[in-house]
Amino acid sequence: MYQNFGRFHSADGKRQVLVVEDEQINREILGMMLENDFHLLYAENGREGLELIRANANTLSVVLLDLNMPVMTGYELLEVLKADPELQRIPVVVLTGEESAEVTALRMGASDFITKPFSMPEVVMARITRAIELSEDSYVIATTEQDEMTDLYRREFFYHYCEQFELHNPGRPMDAMILNIDHFHMINELRGRDFGDEVIRLIGRHLKRMAAEDGAIAGRLEGDCFLLLYPHTDRPEDVLEELNRTLLALDDRGRVRMRMGVYPADDAGVDVPSRFDRAKTAADTVRGSYTRSCAVYDDRLHQRELLNESLIDQMDEALRERQFVVYYQPKYAVQGGEPRLNSAEALIRWQHPTMGLVSPGVFIPLFEENGLIRKLDRFVWEEAAAQIRRWRNELGYTLPVSVNVSRVDMYDPDLAETFRSIVEKNGLTPDTLIPEVTESAYTEDSEQIIRSVEELRALGFRIEMDDFGSGYSSLNMLSVLPIDALKLDMSFIRNMCRGEKSIRMLELMMDIARYLDVPVIAEGVEEESQVQALKAMGCDVIQGYYFSRPVPADQFEAFIKEELSKC
Amino acid sequence: MLSIDNLRAWGANVSEGLARCMNNEAFYFRMIKLALADETTYVRLRAALESKDLDTAFECAHALKGVLGNLSLTPLLEPVAEMTELLRARTDADYAPLMAKIDEKLAELKALAAE
Repeated sequence: MYQNFGRFHSADGKRQVLVVEDEQINREILGMMLENDFHLLYAENGREGLELIRANANTLSVVLLDLNMPVMTGYELLEVLKADPELQRIPVVVLTGEESAEVTALRMGASDFITKPFSMPEVVMARITRAIELSEDSYVIATTEQDEMTDLYRREFFYHYCEQFELHNPGRPMDAMILNIDHFHMINELRGRDFGDEVIRLIGRHLKRMAAEDGAIAGRLEGDCFLLLYPHTDRPEDVLEELNRTLLALDDRGRVRMRMGVYPADDAGVDVPSRFDRAKTAADTVRGSYTRSCAVYDDRLHQRELLNESLIDQMDEALRERQFVVYYQPKYAVQGGEPRLNSAEALIRWQHPTMGLVSPGVFIPLFEENGLIRKLDRFVWEEAAAQIRRWRNELGYTLPVSVNVSRVDMYDPDLAETFRSIVEKNGLTPDTLIPEVTESAYTEDSEQIIRSVEELRALGFRIEMDDFGSGYSSLNMLSVLPIDALKLDMSFIRNMCRGEKSIRMLELMMDIARYLDVPVIAEGVEEESQVQALKAMGCDVIQGYYFSRPVPADQFEAFIKEELSKC
Repeated sequence: MLSIDNLRAWGANVSEGLARCMNNEAFYFRMIKLALADETTYVRLRAALESKDLDTAFECAHALKGVLGNLSLTPLLEPVAEMTELLRARTDADYAPLMAKIDEKLAELKALAAE
C-alpha cells in the first residue's frame, strides 16, 4: 500500500495518526475504525493537538482535525501547522459536516476532509491512506528533485525537465551551458567552507532568477558545477559576465569567478545529457586559463572527442595485440663519485598500427577519466615484474623497477594483494617492484588510500611519492602517511634555470625529504649543470634525458651490462 | 436495555450506526450510553436559548449533531439538526417547540436504555 520509507512508520509498519477532536464519542468511533491499522494518538483540543504534533513531528503520518473545538480551534491549529516549516509536511485531514468549512480548510492547506457524520469505515480509511500516500510521495519527490543547498534541480531531474521542455517547445533552440567556479577547492581551503557554501547559494539564487526571467532551466550537477539550458544566444559570455558581476557581492576584487562551456543549439538530435557532456568538454579547455573563461564546443573539439572515443574503443584490442609496450628509463644514484645504476621506471608506450606512436600524454589522462587505466596499470606491473625476472635470470642482476599506480588503483582494496601475487609469481622480493603513487592521490585524505599504502608497506613494498610539489599535500598528511622516497615534480627541475627562488624551492623540498628521512629522486633532468646543482643540494637519485630517454627492454640491457662491469 | 431491535423500532438507523462502529454491538451500545450519560451539552443548549445566546446555542447544537449523526440516532438527530441549521443563520425564532421535541426524543431514548 505504501512505499517503504523508514522514517514514517514504526517497527511494526503502522503509521502514526493523531486524532484531534473534542467529542469523546467521535474520537472513540474513529479509534474503533482505525486502531487495527494505525498507531493512534488523541487530543481534545487544538492546543493539546499542537503539543502532540511537535512532540511527534518526525513520526506522525497524518492529523485528523475537528474544526470546532474549545481552547484552540482546528482552523487556528491548521494555521500554525502550515506556517511552520518543520510541521507543514504533515498532512491534515479535516473532520467536518459543512461544505463551506471544507473549502476554507482546503484553502488553508488541509489535504482532504472526512465528512460528519463519518462515512463508512472503508471510505474513512481510504481517504486517510490516500492523504498519507500523497504527502509521502511529494515529500520524496521534493527532497530528491531539488538540491538542498540551492533548490536547483538535481542532475536526473534537470535532464528530465530539459527533455520535457524541448518536447513542448520544439521550435525553440536552446543552448546547453555548464558552469564551474574557478579554483573552487582553493576558495574553500583559503576562505573556509562557509564562504564556499555562500558562493554556491548565491549562484543558485542567481540562476533561479535567470531561469525565471529568461525562460531557462537551471540545475546543479555536484559541487561547484551548474547546468543551464538557455535560449540560444550568440553571446553566451554575457550570461557568464552577468553571473560574475553578481559574485562581486561576495568578493569585490573579483577573485571568485566562473568558467563556462557551451554546446550551442543545433538540429543534430544529440540527447540532452550528451549535449551537456560536450559543454563540459568545452569548459575543460578553459580550465586554469587566466585569459579565457568561456568556450564553445566546436568541430575541433568534436574531432578530438571522436579520437578519444576511438582510442577508448581500441584499448582492449591493443592490449590483446600487444600494441602497448613497456619502456624503461634508468635512474642513477649520484651521491658517490661516479653515477651508479639504481633502478628504472617502467613507462607505457602505445605503438598504434595506423596512428603510429600515440603519446601517453593523450591516452593516459583519457583512461584515467574512465577507469580503464586500471587495466593498463596492471599490464605494466605484470610486464615490469616479468622483465625484472628475465634480467635477473639472463644477466644475473636484479634491478628494481618503479611502476605508476593511478589514483583509482589506490581505492582498490585488493591492491596490496595484487602486487604481492605479481612479485610472487615471478619469484621476486617485494622491494624490487616499486609503486609510484602520485602526490595528488595523497591529498584526498582517504581512509582507503592510507590503508592501501600501509598494506603495501606491511608486505615489504617501498612507496615512492611521484610528482612531489605539484599537488597540495598538507604537511600533516606527509607526516602521517609513510613513504619511502620523494620524487620531485619535473616542473621544479625545468624551472631551475629561472633563478634564486626556484633553487630555494628545491632546497626546501630537500629539507622536507631530510626531515622525513627519505631519499629524493629528481626526474626530467637533462643537463650536466642540473645534475651538479641537484647533487650539491643533496639529491640522491636522478632520472632524465641526461642519462637516457626511456628505451625498450632489449636496449636497456646495455645499462645493466655497463653497471655490471663496474662491480 | 438497549437492543438492536428496540433502537430500530424507535427509528434509529441501526445498520449505519453499527457499520461505523465496525459492527461491534457492545461498542455501539456503550457509545450510546456515553452520549446519554453526560447531559452537560443539553443543559448548556437550553440555558443559551433562554438567554438568547445564539452563538453558544449553535456551538452546542452543532456538537450534538455531530455525535448523534455518528451514532445514527435519527429521531433525536432530526430536531437537533433542524435547530443547528436555524442557529447557524442565527435565526431569531422561538426555539421552545424544537427544544421540547429534543427533550421528548431524548427521554424516549433514555427510557429505551433503562428498560
